[in-house]
Amino acid sequence: MNKVGPVGKFFGLVLLIFAINWYAFVVLPWIHYGHLPPIQNGDDDTDISPFDVSGAAHQGEHVYAANGCVYCHTQQVRDPNSGADITRGWGTGRDADGKEITRRTYPRDYIWQGRTFLGSNRDGADLSNVGARFRSASELYAWLYHPDTFDPHSSMPAYRFLFITQKISGQPSDDALTLPSDLAPPPGFEVVPSAEAKSLVAYLLSLNKGYHLKQDEAGVPYKPPTMGDKS
Amino acid sequence: MATLFPTTVAPRGFISTDPELAAVDRSVRWPVMICFLTGVHWMVVGTVLLVYASALTHPMDQLPILGLFVDLSNNFSMFTYGRIWPAAIDSLVYGWGGCAGLGLAAWLLPRMCREPVHAPGALIAAIIFWNLGVAGGLTGIFIGQSSSVELLEFPFYVSWMMWIAFAVFALWTIATFLARRPGNDHIGQAWILAGLFCFPWLYAAGNILLARRPLPGSGIIQEVLDAWYVHGVLTLWLVPIAMGALYYLIPKVSGLGIRFGDKAKLAFWLWLILAPWTAVHELVGGPFPADTVTVGLVLSGLLFVPVAIIGFNLVFTAFEAEEKHAHHGGVVFPFVVLAAVAFVLAGLSEQLLSIRAANETLRFTLFRQCNMFLWVYGFFSFTAFGSIYYIVPRLLDFGWRSSLMVRIHYYTSLYGILLMLALQGFGGTMQGLTLENPAKAVTIETATQVANSYHISATMCISLIAIGNGVFALHLGWMLIDWLRLRVRGNKLAAEILGEPYDGDFAPTAVKEEAAA
Repeated sequence: MNKVGPVGKFFGLVLLIFAINWYAFVVLPWIHYGHLPPIQNGDDDTDISPFDVSGAAHQGEHVYAANGCVYCHTQQVRDPNSGADITRGWGTGRDADGKEITRRTYPRDYIWQGRTFLGSNRDGADLSNVGARFRSASELYAWLYHPDTFDPHSSMPAYRFLFITQKISGQPSDDALTLPSDLAPPPGFEVVPSAEAKSLVAYLLSLNKGYHLKQDEAGVPYKPPTMGDKS
Repeated sequence: MATLFPTTVAPRGFISTDPELAAVDRSVRWPVMICFLTGVHWMVVGTVLLVYASALTHPMDQLPILGLFVDLSNNFSMFTYGRIWPAAIDSLVYGWGGCAGLGLAAWLLPRMCREPVHAPGALIAAIIFWNLGVAGGLTGIFIGQSSSVELLEFPFYVSWMMWIAFAVFALWTIATFLARRPGNDHIGQAWILAGLFCFPWLYAAGNILLARRPLPGSGIIQEVLDAWYVHGVLTLWLVPIAMGALYYLIPKVSGLGIRFGDKAKLAFWLWLILAPWTAVHELVGGPFPADTVTVGLVLSGLLFVPVAIIGFNLVFTAFEAEEKHAHHGGVVFPFVVLAAVAFVLAGLSEQLLSIRAANETLRFTLFRQCNMFLWVYGFFSFTAFGSIYYIVPRLLDFGWRSSLMVRIHYYTSLYGILLMLALQGFGGTMQGLTLENPAKAVTIETATQVANSYHISATMCISLIAIGNGVFALHLGWMLIDWLRLRVRGNKLAAEILGEPYDGDFAPTAVKEEAAA
């Protein structure tokens, strides 16, 4: 007696097709890209790239997720062959000495991120190297508080709910924002970033691919990463 | 040529003359009605949120009333774009797509199997928990617990509940299929079973591996997984469910067999094999496994084969019906035919994205949104609308109230989606060309300025769709209230005349007699 009827065969086939997809999109990438180690640059095994970011930056990932920055900003720089990202200046990071390093991003760039935000929409700029474009936290605070004064056509919403307007008692706070007159708080008050804003800005400043990975070292021709290529 | 939408205000006479089908309809009446009502509710919620989110994408603080929106979004975290937008999309996909899709499955599968559902209370319980999940998930997004993983934003504490609710609903429906008598086979069953089977796996994988807490060290695998999930939800859940409805309703309403019907099975399997590979449209050029992307582009490029077969099946049957009957056949037919056309258009846009060069230009632009809206608002919604126009009178034995409202609904939705397709598609292309312009002088500000006017047009299109959706929701509500009033009054009157005690039960007398027998 044939125990597998037409219904069994149907579900078996659907299962098989689904399992193939599962293998291609989940298992195979995991085998080849799960647990990529950072690379060691010289003999010193503390000189690795990429390096892990601060705890505050990891905290900022949650703020970035909660407020849905990813719906307008990507964090991936494509190769010059497949997009103008490098021309837009999004691939330019800065190393510790302030030297510019321009390159695409590789899977290895994301290994320390708890949650990755590669994004699928570019209503805003790519943020892969936003930490290299802004020199200080106060610039980013100002941008988050009133983006339209920097770019009048910007559709970026202001994130004023990440800031606290408080009464100045004694000395004004160090990190109080310097605001244009139409946004300035009443006299005797100051606008300071909340803990959320601080961790978000720490996260944004940590986005900086200012280091070399083996693929883009001078003289090495570009080779797209393939499934077998772990470097 | 007869009028496109004849007035259908006949108070009764919708129950199928086939006693088997009438019994099936009666068994699923309340589960399916609850699915549709809650689904329409989430559709309205989602569309309103979408209008709001879309309005925030173009600077409008110069305008007197709209400036208020901007102030709200600037100062209250709940109203920021990054929370409104995912809430809107999730409300549409899980609220509208989930509830209406489950309703369609629960009506279609038993009907195609000619097998009434036993203990439909389980379906009602499941759909209530599903709805609680959607409500909880949206609340989670608004209070800042979103994971920002596309379509998996809901916090894990509601996801597991939604998963169980879905599984119970799906199993209960599939049980009806397994209990069917031999001979009642239909290609629509395959589509619906595939949808009910794939979604729980997708949803569990997405939530456990990704949304709850990403696996440590997973890096870019998260994005691969998410792309697979998003396209899985579209192509293995929304499309199969709606396709099952189309394969059932188009022949049913037109009274004709499916043209080239012998190829329908082939189209089903090809779709199932090829469609999930559209996931790589999110990955082209990025830091992702290049082999998977190339294989995926080839396979999703073959998508035109099932799309063409399904198009021939459905659209040609519709043409034939028009030729034979010389009219569009009432309220249901225009919607389902439009859904079939929208399917072909959406398939074509996926086809376009399978071309590497086109994808590189379009993948970060409005075109992608346009593609998604075409699936959700164009294809799925039109199928669901047509089906609801067909199903609800048969469940309640009560006619729709106003042909004018149907007409408004039809034309606002039609022009909304057509304008969306034209303006967003064109706007996305322009935005993409600006973003990928190799000139150094072009910046993101330039691209934003180019995209701005198309964002404004998108708001207008979504508003148009919102008007249609609102009219539809009001019509459904009006119908339900009238039905309740008529039933309650009629039964009360009958009880008075017959001298029986009136127990407040508003079920039709015929049903009570059968229940007693």
